[in-house]
Amino acid sequence: MSENNTTLKVENVSKQYGDFTAVENLSFNVRAGRVFGFLGPNGAGKTTTIRMIVGITFPDEGTIELFGERISNETQNRIGYLPEERGLYKKMKVQDQLRYFAALKNVSQTEADRRIDFWLERMKLSEWKKKKTMDLSKGMSQKIQFIATVLHNPDLLILDEPFSGLDPVNVEFLIEVVAELKAQHKTIIFSTHLMETAERLCDDIILINKSRKVIGGTLREVKASFGKNLIALRAFGGESVLEDKSLVTRIIEHVDEKEIELNEHADAQTLLKRLIENGAIISKFEQIEPSLNDIFIEKITETNA
Amino acid sequence: MRKFLAVVKHEYKKVVLKWSFIVSTLLLPIILAFSTIVPALIFSIKGEPTRITIVDQSGKIAPRLKENLSAERMSARVEEIAKDSLTNLDASQQEQMKRSAEQFSTPFVFTDYNFAEKSLEQIRRELGEKITAKELEAYLIIPNNLDAVDAKYEFRSRKAGDFGGERNLRDALNEAVRSERLAGANISEVQLKNLSRNVDFDAKSLDEKGDEKDSDSVYIASLIIGLMIYILLQIYGQMIMSAVVEEKETRIAEILFSSAKPFELMMGKLVGVGLAGLTQLAIWIISALVLVGIGIAQMSAAGMSISIPNISPLMVVYFFIFFLLGFFIYASIFALIGSMVTTVQEGGQFAILPIILLIVGFYFSLAVMRDANSSLSFWVSIAPFFAPITMPVRILGETPPFWQIALSIFVNAVTIAGLVWLAARVYRVGMLMYGKRATIPEVWKWIRQS
Repeated sequence: MSENNTTLKVENVSKQYGDFTAVENLSFNVRAGRVFGFLGPNGAGKTTTIRMIVGITFPDEGTIELFGERISNETQNRIGYLPEERGLYKKMKVQDQLRYFAALKNVSQTEADRRIDFWLERMKLSEWKKKKTMDLSKGMSQKIQFIATVLHNPDLLILDEPFSGLDPVNVEFLIEVVAELKAQHKTIIFSTHLMETAERLCDDIILINKSRKVIGGTLREVKASFGKNLIALRAFGGESVLEDKSLVTRIIEHVDEKEIELNEHADAQTLLKRLIENGAIISKFEQIEPSLNDIFIEKITETNA
Repeated sequence: MRKFLAVVKHEYKKVVLKWSFIVSTLLLPIILAFSTIVPALIFSIKGEPTRITIVDQSGKIAPRLKENLSAERMSARVEEIAKDSLTNLDASQQEQMKRSAEQFSTPFVFTDYNFAEKSLEQIRRELGEKITAKELEAYLIIPNNLDAVDAKYEFRSRKAGDFGGERNLRDALNEAVRSERLAGANISEVQLKNLSRNVDFDAKSLDEKGDEKDSDSVYIASLIIGLMIYILLQIYGQMIMSAVVEEKETRIAEILFSSAKPFELMMGKLVGVGLAGLTQLAIWIISALVLVGIGIAQMSAAGMSISIPNISPLMVVYFFIFFLLGFFIYASIFALIGSMVTTVQEGGQFAILPIILLIVGFYFSLAVMRDANSSLSFWVSIAPFFAPITMPVRILGETPPFWQIALSIFVNAVTIAGLVWLAARVYRVGMLMYGKRATIPEVWKWIRQS
């Protein structure tokens, strides 16, 4: 991974609140133009870490570098942050509100107006421009908050639970928008505890628990490192092959199929070949990867123990 | 700088575009205008003259009474009343209403009526008929024997509510009767006036150069300035507090802090709301000046001189500086409270602290008013928190040496710097703590940590 390819570099960062350790010796890199999943259960230290990246609080130890610079008010202008706890001024008009947020990110008013029109159009909210926020539905407010996050055309987007409170149609819509931003070579940090969404969107992930890193890397690597050889099988016959302990270590019976855990020295091809040789009639033979959800639950239970 | 200005603009617009702000800003001048101009306008519309018949059975009173009710004598009287109501400010509302009604009451027109050889009953009946026929508005029957114990002066009028006219007539009648009695005792009207005149009590205080100045107007001006500063600081302090709590309640704080420095946000908020306060104050002062100007013009047209407290432009500059100092001190205390609590109601409980400081300052200003040169006046006009209220009063009473004013400005400016620094710190940490109010040890920890 070359230096200019790295958007964010977190090195040995620790943060304490009194006696409570929120983040302990955390290190990770986020690469440019990728979606980075920042995963972990509630209270793991995700929000604290994000607040240090956006310059709301500062680490007690360790360093954070963004675009090769230390965190400062300058780097703040290049980040678009959608916090988990987010709100809008209730009695302000949508347009005035967005103008204010843009001005706080150093965007000139003419440029801000142009982008507000673009994004309201894109989010299908143009007719709400002059309305007050309190007249908006929750889903609409969420979209306005998303616009506030991207209005200054940031190079790094940090989205903390961006889909909470959205209906499925709008979730799909936002995923599409995130994909567009990724295609424009923006870096996206995506924090969630919805593993299915993370699995769909993320190129890289880090899993933290109890203020420490548990695992991290590309989604592929993480899954491979977790790699149990699991096979979903629906077959008629071939029972004798499955009893061979040098091939199969465990069988979990489901209603109409079996989940087979392969011996670590065996491979799926050999099993398939042996089954066919034994005259088994196979209607399903599929190598299954562990889901991110499985990894999450197993790793969290492991580190909590 | 652009971010700071954005915060200022945002906070300013948020206050100024509120309905309550617009209403309260415009309401005061409108109420003022109504209470000064409208009554004058209405009463200046002169009604029809009152046609009156005087039945003077004694034959001694009518000529004097008619003279007393003549146009020249009436306008002289109006002038006297106007002068009187200016010096006598504590007259009751009702009394003042009566007086202004009197000033603008309608003139009398005398209608002749031959009552010779007619009985009292007949006179009453005939005049009553004339009133019913609308040939006449009123009649007055003066008894034969003026000084009899049961002598009655009968006045009957169709104009039930014209108490101004009634009062004028009564006074003119009293005067006429009194003159008649004095003439009987060989004393002239002029003699009596000279003997019963009040002494002219000329109360003025001396300033440090020994020059005379008007103590009444200083007292009133000090009271108004002290009260105005007290009220405005309280209103705008509370406004800042709710603005801070709102950002916390609506969870906007996190977006703000990821965009700008806490100091920029805090200072921007204070300056923005402060400018809104000055806008309101400017509108009020300008409209008050315009109304007072109209009043002065009216009175000097009526040939009266009025004294205005002697306020130099330098004093105005000082008032402005101390108003700003006071605003920033109290606003940052309110902002500090806002960052520590979770709801406006909760903040209200703590708002008592700055309000107590303000009230104490206001009472100190009363002490300063009494004696602007005492050592108490010196200390409270230098001390932080109190100086913004007491120093302007002291300057008005007797301008202290420049070094004292400079010291007071310096001490309070340092206090502001400290408070804003403190508030910005607590603001950032406190704003991110949702759901529970901070305890004092916690706040102390935030200050040290951030």
